Amino acid sequence: LARGIQHTAVRQAHRKYEPNFHDKYGNLVLLGGAAVFTTVWGYVLTQLGIEWGLSPVGRITPREWRE
Amino acid sequence: MLASRAFSLTGRRSICTSLCLRAHGHAGVVKAEDYTLPAYVDRRDVPLPEVAFVRDLSAQQKALKEKEKASWTALSIDEKVELYRMKFNETYAEMNKGTNEWKTVLGGVLFFLGLTGVILIWQKHFMYGPIPHTFSEEWLSAQTKRMLDMRVNPVEGISSQWDFDKNEWKK
Repeated sequence: LARGIQHTAVRQAHRKYEPNFHDKYGNLVLLGGAAVFTTVWGYVLTQLGIEWGLSPVGRITPREWRE
Repeated sequence: MLASRAFSLTGRRSICTSLCLRAHGHAGVVKAEDYTLPAYVDRRDVPLPEVAFVRDLSAQQKALKEKEKASWTALSIDEKVELYRMKFNETYAEMNKGTNEWKTVLGGVLFFLGLTGVILIWQKHFMYGPIPHTFSEEWLSAQTKRMLDMRVNPVEGISSQWDFDKNEWKK
């Protein structure tokens, strides 16, 4: 008997393959991973209060410092 | 087999070689392990593998192999396909077919990179103390004006980005 994998019961030119993990959950894993990534890093980059040390150019309005 | 024929010609029975033993069906010779025998492989660069895919044929399949010895025009389409599937596992199309594995890989990578971000959150919340007061808006604005007044890095640096006539950052 064939040491094959799928049932060769149906005689067809092309075998029907059982969907594997990637067929079943690939889209879910991809979108889920992207969602986790964007939420976490969106929060880290903007809300957490980390000082990223960005350039003052175009961002800071100079203010008189002499007393 | 040849060796035993030679022995009977000479009319003498000499010591059997291991080949003879196998011909007589004696035990004492270890059955060849699968991995030592020629193997079937589905590879694009091996169009005709060393053995057929199906090793042990059923009675039905054996009958089909017999029919194959006659004229091939007598074979139906289904029989031809069955003969193909006996000899080969996957077709080239099936071999070359892509998968959706990249989705799992990329999704997994992004997820674990997200976990790295969680580590940063934990660090900021539980580990790091407050940042120096010199990063506050009012300090930075005063600091920036002082740097511009001093003309710090006027060639390519910060002072070159400030328009001193219009009193604004250059566009």
